[in-house]
Amino acid sequence: MSWYIIAALAAAVVCIAAFAFQFFKLLKMGVPEDLSDKGGDIGKAVAYSYTKAMMPQHKESAYLHLPTYAAGMIYHMGTFLSLALFLVIVILNFAGVEMPVVINSVIAALLFITSALGFAILIKRMVKEELKFISGADDYISNLLTTLFQLFSALYLIFPATGMLYFVCTALLFLWMPVGKIKHLLYFFFARYHLGYFYGWRGTWPE
Amino acid sequence: MAQIELEGKVFELDGDGFLTTPEVWNDQVAELFAKSDGIEELTEKHWAVVRVIRKNFEEKGNAPMIRTICQETGLRLKEIYELFPLGPARGACRVAGLPKPDGCV
Amino acid sequence: MKVLDKELKKKAINLLKNESDSKLITHLNACVRCGLCADSCMFYLAHKEPQYTPAAKVAMVSSLYRRYCTYAGKMAPALVNAKELDEEYAEKMVDMLFGGCTMCGRCVKHCSIGVDISYLVKKGREMLATMNMVPATLQSTVDAAVNTGNNMAIPVEEFTETIKWLESDLIDEMEDPEARIPLDETDKELFYTLNPREPKFFPLSISAMAKVFYAAKANWTLSSKYYDVTNYGYFNANNAEATIIAKNLYDEIHKLRGKKLILGECGHGSRANRWEGPNYLKKKYDFETLTAVELIGDYIRKGTITLDKSLNKQVCTIHDPCNLIRNGGMFKEIRFIVNSSVENLVEMDPYGNDNYCCGGGGGMLAMSEYNDRRLKIGKIKADQITATGAKIVITPCHNCVDQLLQINHTYKLGVRIMTISEIVADALVINNKTK
Repeated sequence: MSWYIIAALAAAVVCIAAFAFQFFKLLKMGVPEDLSDKGGDIGKAVAYSYTKAMMPQHKESAYLHLPTYAAGMIYHMGTFLSLALFLVIVILNFAGVEMPVVINSVIAALLFITSALGFAILIKRMVKEELKFISGADDYISNLLTTLFQLFSALYLIFPATGMLYFVCTALLFLWMPVGKIKHLLYFFFARYHLGYFYGWRGTWPE
Repeated sequence: MAQIELEGKVFELDGDGFLTTPEVWNDQVAELFAKSDGIEELTEKHWAVVRVIRKNFEEKGNAPMIRTICQETGLRLKEIYELFPLGPARGACRVAGLPKPDGCV
Repeated sequence: MKVLDKELKKKAINLLKNESDSKLITHLNACVRCGLCADSCMFYLAHKEPQYTPAAKVAMVSSLYRRYCTYAGKMAPALVNAKELDEEYAEKMVDMLFGGCTMCGRCVKHCSIGVDISYLVKKGREMLATMNMVPATLQSTVDAAVNTGNNMAIPVEEFTETIKWLESDLIDEMEDPEARIPLDETDKELFYTLNPREPKFFPLSISAMAKVFYAAKANWTLSSKYYDVTNYGYFNANNAEATIIAKNLYDEIHKLRGKKLILGECGHGSRANRWEGPNYLKKKYDFETLTAVELIGDYIRKGTITLDKSLNKQVCTIHDPCNLIRNGGMFKEIRFIVNSSVENLVEMDPYGNDNYCCGGGGGMLAMSEYNDRRLKIGKIKADQITATGAKIVITPCHNCVDQLLQINHTYKLGVRIMTISEIVADALVINNKTK
């Protein structure tokens, strides 16, 4: 096996370990103790927080910015697809089996689109004043690495010779994930839980 | 910090437009503040309110209770709100040259 | 510019290291700076400056967390958006977290992730309070409350005389010599509280609530010493001071052996006593705490008071105080009361949990230095009001009332601002007579 595949796998292990550590740490810390009398139903509010409250018609961040919202959603799907693909590639690599060309082409086509959206989002961040103001290195690195990961996944499917590029990029992404803002992969779910808990305690959610 | 100038004298104002040094207050300042609040002319009733507020401030260092204003001027509560559209605090106390009272006003 | 005291700076940073639960660490790590929150913030909408983007305010706090509480931030701060806390940075925090946010939480509800932005802003304020950097104007309101028992430093005798004066008016108006505004009475069912601006400058709401209590034949009292429902310690984020203020009410209701603490119409005061109070004092309250909104709602539901909404014919709208509605769950209750009291309610756009802040929240009203910003963001509320065509704006918060009065004047809206108890009192039918 090539050194870069091993590097990517090692990085994946580090990444999973780091997330697992943070995940269990957060679980262990738990929710804040609130001594006031509860005003609503926490269970329902938390469920609401993960479902209806996330619908585009309930969030200005979605319904006031539909093109960006749609691009963001597709971009995220591209990331999840690429991650799943990585798993498949590694397994097939071990098994010595090749993916059918048709499937390869379809996935590659999809990833070309999602990575194009990733670049669009990156360019938007570099151009728009209000986004530039709130952005730092982490924002550019995270966006770029994720977008390249998608792009190189697509390229690798079509041109297996680009393997080194793909696995090195994948390794870098895995190492960066728990450090930079991509860690929202984990914190997103906790944030929604806490928000549901808060609005539930206050009796604001479910609406 | 904002300033106003009246007959060559400069008056310092806080962000809410209240005098920062209440001691320099005079009738012209009162008239100017009143005008900026949309009170074209200070009537006897206006002055009665202003004098009560001013007196209380000079004696006790703070704005009087609305009850004191009503009782000492003989005006009804609603009249005072009509005289000073911004109310007793942001309206009347400012015209009377007091610093901005603490709290939700 | 003040030089940051090393010890205080350390204490401030330690606030970010609280690991007793996962809420703080979660929100500090969750923002992705998508920037889509900008359009949910009044400050951004009114000024169109990137510094007002809620994400920028989150970053003010989370950048310090990354710098001082994470390995990556300690080793490679520039890579992970970690920032140094120095004098200039702290001044900027004051300007943005005290002067550029009312902690209304509107952005929180609309955040693409679910970051509790106002919770982090509050945490940033706590850091500033630790470093003695609370704006002096805000601090003086807190000092008044801590030193005198109410935030306007009203002496007990002056308060008592005002209540007696209002009581004699009530007797006249109800044509009943038995009509009362009880003071310092023990073992009462309801221990009522006020915003000090009521006795000081705007007592009509006290009379209105007294009328509601009269109609309900309520068993109630006020304290002459500790009646202040506000707690500006919530705004200046000095938890020690907030605790002293919350304890005043807690001790007084025990002293008078009241059964229920009824919070007068005040958004942040309701929040500080209903939700934060037990946590400030670190104990569960052994009495029930209700907002005036809930109490009146209950009266109407149970038929304790009778209302005739044809007595309020003018078009009304509701301004939703952030701390009672979005952050207090009173969305339906306030509408139930208003719909029982007025004939014609027109909602603002947006309304309820999505409504905009009045612009005077978060202690803004007390901080003169930000007066221009406050009135500028208030334009959004002014436009909302104008669009409803309403003649009366109803809101159960005296802080909002004051901001609305100023907006009304500044933008020439020509509306009347009323509290819930005032609009309800106007619809009361007492002994089959309208009052």
